[in-house]
Amino acid sequence: MDVRDSGFHGKLDDDQSESQISHLALDIGGTLIKLVYFSRNKDNLIDENKNRKNSFVEGRLHFAKFETSKINDCLEFILSNKLHLGGFQHHEDPASDKILIKATGGGAYRFADLIKEKLGVSIEKEEEMECLVAGANFLLKAVHQEAYTYMDGRKEFVHIDHNDLYPYLLVNIGSGVSMIKVDGDGKFERISGTSVGGGTFWGLGRLLTKCKSFDELLELSHQGNNRVIDMLVGDIYGGLDYSKIGLSSTTIASSFGKAISDNRELEEYKPEDIARSLLRMISNNIGQIAYLNALRFGLKRIFFGGFFIRSHAFTMDTISVAVNFWSKGEAKAMFLNHEGFLGALGAFMSYVKHGHDDSISPQSGQRYPVCTPLVGDKICYPLNGDLNDNDSLECSVYVA
Amino acid sequence: MAGLTEDTNPVLDIDGLLINQEHNKTQEENNNNNSNSQLKDKSAVLGRDREENSSKNQNQAEIDMASIHRSGSRPQLDLSKAAIEGNFEEKDPTILLPNQSDDISHLALDIGGSLIKLVYFSRHEGQSIDDKRKKILKERLGISNGTRRSYPILGGRLHFVKFETTKINECLDFIYSKQLHHGGMDSCHWNAEAPANENAVIKATGGGAFRFADLFKERLGVSLDKEDEMNCLVAGANFLLKAIRHEAFTHMEGRKEFVQIDHNDLFPYLLVNIGSGVSMIKVDGDGKFQRVSGTNVGGGTYWGLGRLLTKCKSFDELLELSQRGDNRTIDMLVGDIYGGMDYSKIGLSASTIASSFGKAISDKKELEDYSPEDISLSLLRMISYNIGQIAYLNALRFGLKRIFFGGFFIRGHAYTMDTISFAVHFWSNGDAQAMFLRHEGFLGALGAFMSYEKHGLDDLMVHQLVERFPMGAPYTGGKIHGPPLGDLNEKISWMEKFVLKGTEITAPVPMAPPPGTTGLGGFEVPSSKGSTLRSDASALNVGVLHLVPTLEVFPLLADPKTYEPNTIDLADHNELEYWFTVLSGHLPDLVDKAVASEGGTDDAQRRGDAFARAFSAHLSRLIEDPAAYGKLGLANLLELREECLREFQFHDAYRSIKQRENEASLAVLADLFAELDSMSEETRLLTLIEGVLAANIFDWGSRACVDLYHKGTIIEIYRMSRNKMQRPWRVDDFDLFKERMLGSGDKKPQPHKRALLFVDNSGADIVLGMLPLARELLRRGTEVVLVANSLPALNDVTAMELPDIVAEAAKHCDILRRAAEAGSLLVDAMINPSDSSKENSSSIPLMVVENGCGSPCIDLRQVSSELAAAAKDADLIVLEGMGRALHTNYNARFKCDALKLAMVKNQRLAEKLIKGNIYDCVCRYEPASKANLL
Repeated sequence: MDVRDSGFHGKLDDDQSESQISHLALDIGGTLIKLVYFSRNKDNLIDENKNRKNSFVEGRLHFAKFETSKINDCLEFILSNKLHLGGFQHHEDPASDKILIKATGGGAYRFADLIKEKLGVSIEKEEEMECLVAGANFLLKAVHQEAYTYMDGRKEFVHIDHNDLYPYLLVNIGSGVSMIKVDGDGKFERISGTSVGGGTFWGLGRLLTKCKSFDELLELSHQGNNRVIDMLVGDIYGGLDYSKIGLSSTTIASSFGKAISDNRELEEYKPEDIARSLLRMISNNIGQIAYLNALRFGLKRIFFGGFFIRSHAFTMDTISVAVNFWSKGEAKAMFLNHEGFLGALGAFMSYVKHGHDDSISPQSGQRYPVCTPLVGDKICYPLNGDLNDNDSLECSVYVA
Repeated sequence: MAGLTEDTNPVLDIDGLLINQEHNKTQEENNNNNSNSQLKDKSAVLGRDREENSSKNQNQAEIDMASIHRSGSRPQLDLSKAAIEGNFEEKDPTILLPNQSDDISHLALDIGGSLIKLVYFSRHEGQSIDDKRKKILKERLGISNGTRRSYPILGGRLHFVKFETTKINECLDFIYSKQLHHGGMDSCHWNAEAPANENAVIKATGGGAFRFADLFKERLGVSLDKEDEMNCLVAGANFLLKAIRHEAFTHMEGRKEFVQIDHNDLFPYLLVNIGSGVSMIKVDGDGKFQRVSGTNVGGGTYWGLGRLLTKCKSFDELLELSQRGDNRTIDMLVGDIYGGMDYSKIGLSASTIASSFGKAISDKKELEDYSPEDISLSLLRMISYNIGQIAYLNALRFGLKRIFFGGFFIRGHAYTMDTISFAVHFWSNGDAQAMFLRHEGFLGALGAFMSYEKHGLDDLMVHQLVERFPMGAPYTGGKIHGPPLGDLNEKISWMEKFVLKGTEITAPVPMAPPPGTTGLGGFEVPSSKGSTLRSDASALNVGVLHLVPTLEVFPLLADPKTYEPNTIDLADHNELEYWFTVLSGHLPDLVDKAVASEGGTDDAQRRGDAFARAFSAHLSRLIEDPAAYGKLGLANLLELREECLREFQFHDAYRSIKQRENEASLAVLADLFAELDSMSEETRLLTLIEGVLAANIFDWGSRACVDLYHKGTIIEIYRMSRNKMQRPWRVDDFDLFKERMLGSGDKKPQPHKRALLFVDNSGADIVLGMLPLARELLRRGTEVVLVANSLPALNDVTAMELPDIVAEAAKHCDILRRAAEAGSLLVDAMINPSDSSKENSSSIPLMVVENGCGSPCIDLRQVSSELAAAAKDADLIVLEGMGRALHTNYNARFKCDALKLAMVKNQRLAEKLIKGNIYDCVCRYEPASKANLL
């Protein structure tokens, strides 16, 4: 199995866009629409016909995303690539022309009519948490180098023992944050969450900096210095640590706390500094709440996913620091390569689960014997452009 | 006697001493502030001339005093009418400065990132007058030494004040003007003789204690002794939770409910202090705690982000904005994501916030397009909710049942508390409750105060604290001190300012404050946006804590723990409104009386107007938030009115009326005695009880009775009233009482050993009602202790006035005379008191004790030590009058026999309490039973 990372633009290649596309699944969130679809390898078509019952279909899993506000672009993309034909026919009524597409996320409800109208397909709604969990379980089991830790700028892949995966805490940071205790396949419980998530970062960030996109904001945060705006322990104690309770002078005592005492207006702060303060505030908060919940249920592993993270180094660093700080080093934050696509992947998996199409037979990730990334750990999404220019990310998976 | 006065002739005679002491007393009893004294003595207080004058004085005390006011450029101690107080034999007599607003104080500071909190203590010297009469009484009651030295705690007041940290100079001015920095810990005795020690030290906590140390040194010449912040927070919280009865409360969906904290089951708890940042502290005991968590998303974040997003000028402006906001325009709700549907599977309703500020993403709107109100609310919800969640997770982690939220972020803001409560409730599935503290902002400062070695608060008990809510005084109480400080050196009294402001802001006189603000705020701030912390000042709900070490729990309460003084629950809003209407209706008449009592001068009229405004504002405040000042009962409300009168220098509004009625009643007393003496024992007892009930009609607290007064003379009304006493009364236990007193058949019961008679009104009530009853008891060999108010309330007779009344009555009656002599009530009239007391020591004494309060009602959890001592040998209690027997204590149970007598002079109360009518009578007798003793 290959995990390939390459960007591609606009329409898919002609040879790809023919009839091999199948099994489109959508995750329509508050901020982003995530697509996962499968394309069979041409050379495998014959193979499949020959030995349909006991061989795997080779192909690729494609990942793409759009901003929810630009849903029309997304529909256009689907239409032009005929992805919508990759649904399934209603199993109780195979003769009907009605094609169903698996979708999850709030938008699966909100945009059902629009999709019906534009694409002529119906949405079959999959439960969001189930999808997230299914997606995460699949990735953690099937993809070799999926989970990693990130501290002080160093990314380290973590080997996950499939037999010792559960229970774990899945923290999905989308617009809001869901925290899910996962005990097994399909066995999970949403135990917590917070409304301070990606949407907050972007929403507040937009208001404060006039950034045009999430990624622009992230990019800005790279160059910022949060000490300008945050009130540090040192600011309160005249540069001294409050060592008695273990707070160093550089610990943030109050996010945005300096904006109080200064007589500076918003315009006088650098957008970079604001972005950085905001990012630290939110990442730190999520890390803390996640750790407290993990502690509460005695969960050793915390996986962070969702589009807020998007492999942004500083975000991961802050979350890791928060988890490390509050757990006194006992817990580690882990991240997923395909962090943004958990829900979409889970929706995709539900084709299998429901047995709508036996042309894809993997019931679980374990069936994939080898999962080797072709390009090593250079799985690093471009930080800008992919969303605004409506590029999509492609990771392809084929089964050998 | 050593007089420390600015007159060259010190007052030397006994009368002068008494007058001074009385003056002192009233001074203390009133709200303690500069301006009071300014009003009292217009020449007082300000500046150099005072110092020059006082420097002419040549005695030792003066030298000590002089050291306190060093430079003459600021307001100084006012030495006018200073006198040595109390016992001449005392080695270190305390010098009392009646015209100095406060005694030397202890001061502690909490200098946070946003606000500076001050707690300071002002002493008031032994409230009771140590005259001979009292001394003898105390000996008889077994109180060996009645001076303050016998108490571990000093009486005084704790004041709570705050300033914005950015306005630290105002804070320094304030400290300087009150000379608070000289009360620091280096004055090792709590005396006025604070040496001018250049190394004076003030306890301080909070980050600013480090940052501003140099500034304090430079400006005030004092060093800040830095106390650990967490230590202080915990010490402050522990103190409040133990010492103040109604400190902690829950706040859900706009409803505030006070929580009774069992001191023995207080620990462990989680203390969440929300300042600029948030600290979460697990508290296991006094001084035993651990900071277990915290978050950097706190009050500073709210204010900081809020400022950037809304251009608000102050925290409170931002908070106020939030009250009119709608967060749905900015927050992404579950319904927004799910097309208006709930995500019920995981228990999220459509209105749950999925992502704070999440809508600001998809909209094309810019910052300017959002209303600041909406932004403020979103921000407030985000931060409050987050804090609640993290706090709950930590409480859960350590298995803590109670979570107390404090710190200045909350500042009594209903929505903030609701949001935090909701978060805790939501995440705990209702298992945990958020609790809040009324003194939330002052934990650190209080804790710093506690760190003084001799702060005197260690042994403080709940019953020794009385909280008062002064209104006008600009420099005391829990108020933000902004602009008025600029006027500190102007020769204008606060009263002038108060009246001026009142008319300027609120003309015509407001019965309700402007919308959006509450009582106090409505007064202080014009409706236009100012830079003052308006909602803060109004929502603070913190009064001045009066530490009265002499207060004790009444020892005869059957079960002090479950005792609730108030009969009427003002939590019922109808009830509340009714009483507010009654009190408001009564107000103009009361103001007239008050003004007349002070000679009807222009000054009195101004004060009267100011009082009316202030009290109306109190009422409006309370109708809006009944729990604003703690749990509200009718007794509290009535006491508030009396306190408010005192604050505006009306010491005894009914003085002349009381005098007139006493005289009129005393004039007919001899006839009444003769009439009574001609009766059989049985008839007489009934007539006496009838008399008490009949005479209780003379009550200026009752509107209906005020109307009656204009229709006849006292004795006419009394006789008419008594003749109408048709038994059975509405509540009639007379036969039971009679049996206890006279027995049945041949069996003569043992007379009571000592009876406590809680008396009510002046005039006929005391003279024609209670005194004859007392006389009867004395005749039967029962010692009688008349229990009366320490301070005036309406036309209630006070302990100060009683001896004269008794002396006058004794002229007509030998029984009373002998008993009064035995009880040392006639000490002034006796030539040789010590001989007389010996001679009369075998007689049954009639005594007078003060009850320790100045309200028409009585809370028996807080009575004077004299009363407590007198109660020890008592086996009969007679509670008389609506205030003490109905409004309060109607349901109280005692360890001894108790008789509750009152005429109901209020239709509503009559219906509610006894299902009767106005002028119905209550004679409730409850013998001490074994059950009661258990």
